Amino acid sequence: MKKTLEAINGLKKEGIVKDYAIGGAVAALKWVEPFFTRDLDIFVIPLPPTGEERVISFLPIYNSLKDKGYDQWAGQWLMIEGVPVEFLPAEGLSKEAVDQAVETELEGVGTKVVTPEYLIALFLKAFREKDKMKIRLLLDQTKIERKKLRDILTRHGLEEKFKALYGDWK
Amino acid sequence: MKSEIKIEIGKDRIVTLPELYQEYDKAHRIQAGIPFEDKIKALVDLQKIAFSWGKRRDVIVWRI
Repeated sequence: MKKTLEAINGLKKEGIVKDYAIGGAVAALKWVEPFFTRDLDIFVIPLPPTGEERVISFLPIYNSLKDKGYDQWAGQWLMIEGVPVEFLPAEGLSKEAVDQAVETELEGVGTKVVTPEYLIALFLKAFREKDKMKIRLLLDQTKIERKKLRDILTRHGLEEKFKALYGDWK
Repeated sequence: MKSEIKIEIGKDRIVTLPELYQEYDKAHRIQAGIPFEDKIKALVDLQKIAFSWGKRRDVIVWRI
């Protein structure tokens, strides 16, 4: 995991991505009790698209990692030092989540992790069964800044959905 | 009137069902506060269990 993060940090150092943060289940793990997951979701803010078609390309990411020997895929996951990694483009809500993510360390390596408030909003947006479980864990087991959460949900049109499902939650 | 059911959970520790669930909640919150590194280790243990015991051959056990 340490080497995985070092490889991902390399992308930022080399200017291949503007920024990144750990999202998804592993980010939730930072804030709640351990639970099972398969992969490491990395939200990346790529460099601005070039050309008329305005295509955001992940190829520079994949090529840079390939040059370092990471070219083994397991389904949709790129294997980096034995960890299946999925890169996701940070846009809108997820871009804000990366911007506001907290700096932390894992095994002595610096990284950024999406905060509980943004995770709730992101899980609420995706809202698969496994997302519902993670929202419940976040609401029950970590300190949520209500004002911050309300603000995020309102700005991204998720407040009514949240209220209908979780009411005042505590 | 029936007396409330109680459960013995240790030496001199008898609790009611609501108290037992409170204990569980408390234990989960304590787990939520352990270091990130330890949570990743626990995750890898869960992946090992899913792979071997649960026979989920599609699960990749992370190298840490």
